[in-house]
Amino acid sequence: MFRILILIFLAAGAAYSAPVARSLVRIEATSQEPNYKAPWNPGEVSGGVGAGFIISGNRIMTNAHVVSNARFLTVSKEGDPRPFPAKVLHIAHDCDLALLTVEDPEFFKGTTALEFGGIPLIESTVSVYGYPIGGNRLSVTQGIVSRIDFQAYSHSGMDSHLTIQIDAAINPGNSGGPVMQNGKVVGVAFQGYSGDVAQSVGYMIPTPVAKRFLKDVEDGHYDRYVDLALSYKSLFNPAARRALGLADDDRGVLVGSVYGGGSSEGIVFPGDVLLAIDGLPIASDATIPMDNDSVPLAEVVERKFKGDSVTLDILRAGKPLQVTVPLNGPWPFTLHANAYDEDPKFVMFGGLIFQPVDENWMAAHEPADLRLRYTFDFFTEDKLYKERPEIVVLSGVLADPVNAFASDFRHGIVDEINGRKIRRLADVAEEFAKPAEYYVIKMAGVGRPIVLERQAVEAARERILSRYGVTREQNL
Amino acid sequence: MIARTSLLVLAFCLPAFAGVTPQPNPSKPAIEATNRSVIRVNATSQAYDFFRPWTKKSPGTRRGLGTLIDGDRILVTAELIANHTFIELEKAATAEKSSATVERVDYESNLAILKPADPAFLTGMKPLALDKGVRVGDRATVLQLEQNGEIAQTIGTVTSILVSGYPLDNLGLLIFRLSAPMQQRDGSFTLPVVRNGKLLGLLMRYDARSQTADIISTPVISHFLAEAAKPAYGGFARAGIAFSSTRDPQLRRFVGLNEPGGVYVTEVLKDGPAEMAGLRVGDVILAVDGRAVDQDGNYDDPDWGRIAFSHITNTIKHPGETANFRVFRDGTILEVPIKLEPRDRSKIISESYIVDRAPRYVILGGVVFMELSRAYLQEWGGDWPKDAPQRLVFLDAFQNELPAGQDKIVFISQILPTPMTLGYENLENLVVTKLNGQEIRTLDDVVSAAQSPVDGFQKIELDEDPGLIILDAQAIEANRDALIRKYSLPALQRL
Repeated sequence: MFRILILIFLAAGAAYSAPVARSLVRIEATSQEPNYKAPWNPGEVSGGVGAGFIISGNRIMTNAHVVSNARFLTVSKEGDPRPFPAKVLHIAHDCDLALLTVEDPEFFKGTTALEFGGIPLIESTVSVYGYPIGGNRLSVTQGIVSRIDFQAYSHSGMDSHLTIQIDAAINPGNSGGPVMQNGKVVGVAFQGYSGDVAQSVGYMIPTPVAKRFLKDVEDGHYDRYVDLALSYKSLFNPAARRALGLADDDRGVLVGSVYGGGSSEGIVFPGDVLLAIDGLPIASDATIPMDNDSVPLAEVVERKFKGDSVTLDILRAGKPLQVTVPLNGPWPFTLHANAYDEDPKFVMFGGLIFQPVDENWMAAHEPADLRLRYTFDFFTEDKLYKERPEIVVLSGVLADPVNAFASDFRHGIVDEINGRKIRRLADVAEEFAKPAEYYVIKMAGVGRPIVLERQAVEAARERILSRYGVTREQNL
Repeated sequence: MIARTSLLVLAFCLPAFAGVTPQPNPSKPAIEATNRSVIRVNATSQAYDFFRPWTKKSPGTRRGLGTLIDGDRILVTAELIANHTFIELEKAATAEKSSATVERVDYESNLAILKPADPAFLTGMKPLALDKGVRVGDRATVLQLEQNGEIAQTIGTVTSILVSGYPLDNLGLLIFRLSAPMQQRDGSFTLPVVRNGKLLGLLMRYDARSQTADIISTPVISHFLAEAAKPAYGGFARAGIAFSSTRDPQLRRFVGLNEPGGVYVTEVLKDGPAEMAGLRVGDVILAVDGRAVDQDGNYDDPDWGRIAFSHITNTIKHPGETANFRVFRDGTILEVPIKLEPRDRSKIISESYIVDRAPRYVILGGVVFMELSRAYLQEWGGDWPKDAPQRLVFLDAFQNELPAGQDKIVFISQILPTPMTLGYENLENLVVTKLNGQEIRTLDDVVSAAQSPVDGFQKIELDEDPGLIILDAQAIEANRDALIRKYSLPALQRL
C-alpha cells in the first residue's frame, strides 16, 4: 500500500504574523537523478520546491527527499526575497530527514529557532506550514491528529517508523514543513495519499524520530537505524502456546527467521519465544507498553543507536533465558531500499555492461528474468548474500560485432569469469584486467558461456567508446 | 495452460472479418467429400478448482469439428475434450446425436480419438485419409460449421513448416503454419484442415491479429495413430536436452570447433535419455542419425525442408528406438546412441498440467496441504508468473535444480479457519519441510507423519515465516466431522 503514498515535494514552483514565520524557509532544489541504464552519463536535472524550518545551531530541518540527489540548493526566508545558497549537513534516507545550513551568517539574523514538542494527543489540533501547490507564498492548513502508528516511509521504500496521521491537507510542496502545536514543532510533514486514493490523510514524522536523528548526528556522522534483523509472529494459538510451554497469559511472540549478517544472528534462533524486551513485557500481538500506550515492540529498538544493545527475555525449548543483542547496521537489507546520492557502479568490457543490482537498478530496468527476480527478492530471506554479497548482472549490451551473440544473456547473473566465482563487481573488474586469450563469462543457470576474445575486445574498444559516447569504462 | 491456449483459438472473434476476403469456390466433389467426413463434437467439461481442490468449477461446453478417420474413429484436439464429463457427436445436417467416449488422448501432442457409443451412428460417413507431401506455398482449406449446419470453408496458404512448442507441455513437434483470414464461428475448438479431399491436420491455435493458424501436422497425427494402435501407448519421446546456437564465432573458436554446424548443449535433463546415454552440457551436437545439424539445430528433411532435429527424436522415432548423435567433445568426435523415451511424468516435481484427474490434497485440522503444480499457479490467470506467490513460481521454474530426492513440493495452500487454527488464519502458500519431525516429500508423507503427533501436537515446520505451526492433535481428531460439515467438504483428503 505504501507504494501509493506520494512524497509531497512540489516539482518546479509573504508577510505572515505568527512567530513561526520567522523560522520557516522555502527550499529550492536542483537535483540530478543517476542514470542506471547508461551509468557513465550524468542523469537528468530537475528542480523542486519544499519547506524547512530553522532549529538550534543555525540548522534547517527538512525532508531527505527534498534535498536528495541535490546539485544546488537555495533557501529563502518568509518575507525576504533573497535566496541564500545552502548545503546539506546530514541526510537520513531511512527516516526521510535532513539538516541543512547556510554559510552566510546574514541568513540567520532575525530568525527564531523552533523547539520540538512531544507526541500530540489524538484529536488535538495541529497546523501545517509549507509552500504547497496552489500558489507561491506560505500556506497554513489546520487539522487534527487522526492516528499514531507505524507506517512505511516511502522515500526509502523499506523502512517503517512511528508516524502520525493528520487530517489537514498535505500537498506537494508541504514536504519538510513544520507541524505546530502550542508554538512547538510536533512533526515534519512528509507524505500523503493522492486524492483519488484517500482523502484527508496526511502523514508527519513525529518528534521521537526527529530527535533520534538529531542525536544520531551529534558525533558528526549519521549511522542509520539499527535493527534486530529477525521476524516474529503473534502467538494466539492455544495449542501452540501449550506446546511451547507458555502460560495462557497473552504474552510472547514466536521467532520465525533470524537474518544472517544482522544483529541477532547467533544470539536468537528460529523457534525462540520473545517474552520481554528491555524488561518491557511483549504481548502476544507483538506490542509493548510504552508512553501510556501500546506500541510495536520494535519501538524499543527504534530509539536506540548503533553500538547500543537490547536485552531480550527468551523462552528456548521451554527454558527461560536472557540474552543481550548488540545492535548493528541493517546490511544486507539495504539492498531493497531506494538509494540516493549514489553514483551507479559499473564495469564496461567489450560493450557488455556489468552492474550490481539494487532497488534503484531494479526500478530502472524492471527485469522479467525469473532467476534475477528470485535472487533479488529472496536475497535476505534465503541468505543468498552468502554466495554473492553483490548480485552482479549483465545489465546491458552496447551492440557491436564483438558482442553480437551476447544480447540473449541480458539480465543474467554473472556467476564465473575464467573460472573465478564472481561475488562482487570488483571481481569482474579484476578478471578483465588479467591478460587472457579468452574471457569466458558463465551466467548463473545458463549452460552456454559468453566468450570474448581479448584481441576482438581490444580492437572494438575505441569504436564502442566513441560510438556510444562512453566517457568512462568503470566506476567501482 | 489449457485455458490460455483455448483463448487463443476463441480469439477468432475479436476483429471483424466479415466479407473481407472473397473465397474461391472449391470444386463440388471436395465439399461433398468433406461434408460426409466431419462431425460436430460438443464436449461438456469441468475442471477442478485448484484453489478449492475438493471441488470442481462450473461446467462449460466446448464445441469443435471432429474428423472421421478409418476405423470409425473421430479425431479431435485433446484440448476440446480435456476434463470432459460428457461428449456428444452431432451430425451437422440432421442434428442427430450420439454420445462418445475417448479411446485415446495425448495432451503433449494435443490429439484425441473418440468413438461413438452407437457404432452405427457413423454409417454413411466417409473417413478421410491423411494428406502427405504438403509444401510451403500450397493452399489448404479450414473447415468450420455455420449455425445452420453448413460447412464454411476458408482457404489459406501454408507459409511455413516448423517445429514449435505444443500448447500443454511445450513439446517441440512439427506444425504447419497457415495464413488464413478466419471468422469467428460457433464451435471453433478443433477445426479440420483439408487439402485435395484429405486431412492435412487440425487447427490448434489461431492468432487473429496476424491471421496465422498453427496446424497439428500429419507426421504428428501419424505418430499418434501408430502409437494408439499399439497394445501399450508409448506417446512421444524426447531426448531431454536444451541447446543453443553456435553462430558466435568466438564461441566456436573457444570450443575448438572446426566443423561447419553443430549446436551447444546447455542443459541435460536429470535421468533423461540423453543423460543416461552420457551426453553432457558443453557437448556440440553435429549430426543426428546421419543428418548434419546446422548452427541453429536444423537439418535438411527430405519432406519438410530445414527443420529442427528434434523432429527426428520426437516424431520420426518412436519411444524405445535409438537416435544416433554425433557429438564434438574436447576436440574429439563421439558417436552417442540415445535410447529415446517419453518423459516419465510421475517423476516431475511440479507438473505443467493436470488434466482429467483431481488434484491431491490433505486437510489436517483446517490446514490444507497440496503438492505444487503449474496448474495451481495458473489459477492466478494470464499473468501468473508475476501474480502468483513468487516463491512457488520460482520453485516451479527452477524445479530441475532442486536437490535429488525431492519428489514433490508440499505446501500449505490455505487455512480453513476453525478455533483450532486461531492465529493462523492468514497463512497461505507456505512450503512445508517437516511434520512431527519427519521429512515431507509428498502428500503421502503428510498422511503418515500425521499418525505420530509429538506430545499430542501436530508440529508443521516451514522453510519461511512463521517457521512453525502447532496444532492440537486430539482436537483435530475430535473436530473432523465438524470441519467437514462446516465447510461442506466431501472428504478431508484425496490422494
